[in-house]
Amino acid sequence: MIQTWALLVDAYRELSAKRLFWITLILSGLVVAVFGAFGINSKGLTFLWWEFPLPLFNSDTVPPATFYKFVFANFGVPIWLAWVAGVLALISTASIIPDFIAGGAVELTLSKPISRVRLFLIKFVSGLLFVTLQVGLFTGACFVVIGFRGGSWEWGLWLAVPIVVLMFSYLFSVCALVGLLTRSTIAALLITLLVWFAVWIVNAGDAVMILQRETAIMDLESREKLLSQRLETARKQAEKTAAEGQTPVEPDKNPLVVFARGQVKEAEESVKTWTKWASIAFGIKTVLPKTGETVALLDRHLLSLEDRKKFRPETVQPDELEEEERPRRGRRGRVRVEERVDEVIRARSVWWVVGTSVAFEGVMLGLACLIFARRDF
Amino acid sequence: MQTMTPTGIETATEHSGDWAVHLTHVSKVYRGKVHALRGIDMRVKRGEVFGLLGPNGAGKSTLVKILLTVISSTRADGVMLGRPIGDKSALARVGYLPEHHRFPEYLTGAQVLDFYAAMSRVPRRQRRERSGRLLDLVGMKDWANKAVRGYSKGMRQRIGIAQALMNDPELVVLDEPTDGVDPVGRRDIRVMLQQLRDEGKTVFLNSHLLSELEMVCDRVAILVQGRVVSQGTIGELTDHRKYYEIEALAGSQPAQIEVLSNAVSGVLGPRADPGPPLVSPHPGVAVPETDIGALAGGERVFVRSGALRILTTEAAAVQPVLDALRSRGLVIRAVREYRPSLEDLFMEAVTDPTTGKALVPGAAKDGKNGGGR
Repeated sequence: MIQTWALLVDAYRELSAKRLFWITLILSGLVVAVFGAFGINSKGLTFLWWEFPLPLFNSDTVPPATFYKFVFANFGVPIWLAWVAGVLALISTASIIPDFIAGGAVELTLSKPISRVRLFLIKFVSGLLFVTLQVGLFTGACFVVIGFRGGSWEWGLWLAVPIVVLMFSYLFSVCALVGLLTRSTIAALLITLLVWFAVWIVNAGDAVMILQRETAIMDLESREKLLSQRLETARKQAEKTAAEGQTPVEPDKNPLVVFARGQVKEAEESVKTWTKWASIAFGIKTVLPKTGETVALLDRHLLSLEDRKKFRPETVQPDELEEEERPRRGRRGRVRVEERVDEVIRARSVWWVVGTSVAFEGVMLGLACLIFARRDF
Repeated sequence: MQTMTPTGIETATEHSGDWAVHLTHVSKVYRGKVHALRGIDMRVKRGEVFGLLGPNGAGKSTLVKILLTVISSTRADGVMLGRPIGDKSALARVGYLPEHHRFPEYLTGAQVLDFYAAMSRVPRRQRRERSGRLLDLVGMKDWANKAVRGYSKGMRQRIGIAQALMNDPELVVLDEPTDGVDPVGRRDIRVMLQQLRDEGKTVFLNSHLLSELEMVCDRVAILVQGRVVSQGTIGELTDHRKYYEIEALAGSQPAQIEVLSNAVSGVLGPRADPGPPLVSPHPGVAVPETDIGALAGGERVFVRSGALRILTTEAAAVQPVLDALRSRGLVIRAVREYRPSLEDLFMEAVTDPTTGKALVPGAAKDGKNGGGR
């Protein structure tokens, strides 16, 4: 315990000696100030003493607490903490492992009565201290802002701390492994950013595939509906024709039905294709860390699907949609598809999101520990 | 990878009371079949100051790093402070100052001491007590709360020595402790090493400064190309190499080899086979000498222009030679008792006896280099 505490205190001293740590902290303070300066009232949005009237977006449609939670969960955490502060944290911490194993520094630490695996893991955890402190302070400040400005003391906000630290730990495990292998801060930083970018691409690809699949499914549903309507109409026409003593056209051979059936087949093929691609994207994503979805867990926790709908450009309920409206057509159709994509992504279990990401991190750390334990310095 | 054979374990039990470090068959082969250590056998007694010498690349740092688990050995039988080599638990009782140490620049001197002592599991109260005392001891009390980044090399070295003592170690391993330290600081360090010995601590010194080692070490080992070529007290290593040198003049000129040989021929016994190579009075410089035989007591006599060298520790053995020289009218200019210095021993160890040239420095690849030793 003495050793663990000493390493953590040392990590804090190392961080507080970095100018970037304080710069990030000041920037976080500014972001919170801007966050607190925004408000919502019965007329619309406010910023300091200015008012921006919005008939569809005001405290009557969106309660102030929900507004602040939405801004925190959709801008504060994923954009500021996960991206901007995340990149700054990586820049600040990428040197931790290369500096730790540098000649002249590591010999003394390795000559102490502590196992190498434990030493490396504590060093890794201490690298997360930067993010923990930054997120902790940012969340604390936002908690106060939402409490006073939104009138709701949201204890769930504090979930941002473990979630963002967890997300950062996926990336830092890559950074630690590369730093150990190359002994270079620049290489560790660049490769980690590259991995992060690759993860983002896969994530975007996955979202696109889901969007396409859901669009195709909705298209199919719509065409099946059209087919059954036309079949019904054709059947009625056939009965009417038969009643008139003429030879009826079989409903299945009705040109409109044949055309609609062809469209259904086409839509079925489309669903098959996009389902296959969505499965491939899902498979690739499964083995990679899910940075975006991990951060989105906070959104899941803070805002229900109903809450989220309040922030759509046009609040529309599915039953309001026109019967035959195609998903690709019009804003209403797009809203409906987006909702379905949201539902699919939210349906992915927390265990899948966190479990597979932690497994990735475990592999990175396992490799790093193995190398660190066996290397001669 | 540490290999602990049954023999090694027996040794551990057998010698744990007597030896701070007892090594047998320590070897290290790096990738590419580079043999850094080739079967080191070495003993360091408890309570002594032990010096490890060797040219660059001899394997000194490799050996120290194996002891401190910084690198793994290919094979290492033996014990350190009663524990098998590679056992981390023994390290709580070891203080270490690496050669090219680099303390975190953001820490102050006092924080450096506190951090590394904590890593050795020293409780907070003891850390506080010892920190002030050791900072005072190494003359860094006034700099205790200044960041290391502002320290000179000598100051860093002083802090390094203090940190090596923070855990009140039984064994202190110091790699080039006087590197960058001014003469006053060096003297202070020597005094401190003697104090440590007086307190019963074992000091393992790795240094290039042979004269300093000679002043403080009880025992030394010379490492060349991954092997211990000699080991013992400085007395043990030098006594049998002592000799007398007689400088003689013929008139006002140094006596020639033939004159000297003829002058002493009467006191020489039958010629024996040439013995082991001798230490040159001028290390590193080839001085042509001729073995002209031995005295009645078996003491070998060598001659060069203007001087005779007699391998003996007894002054009495030299007297017949002096008499013989005087009887031939030669003038005795000087009679010197000569005892090889540690530097002489070192130079002898790193010189190829067949060629008289310095051995190739560095580790041996695939068993080559220094195979003749």
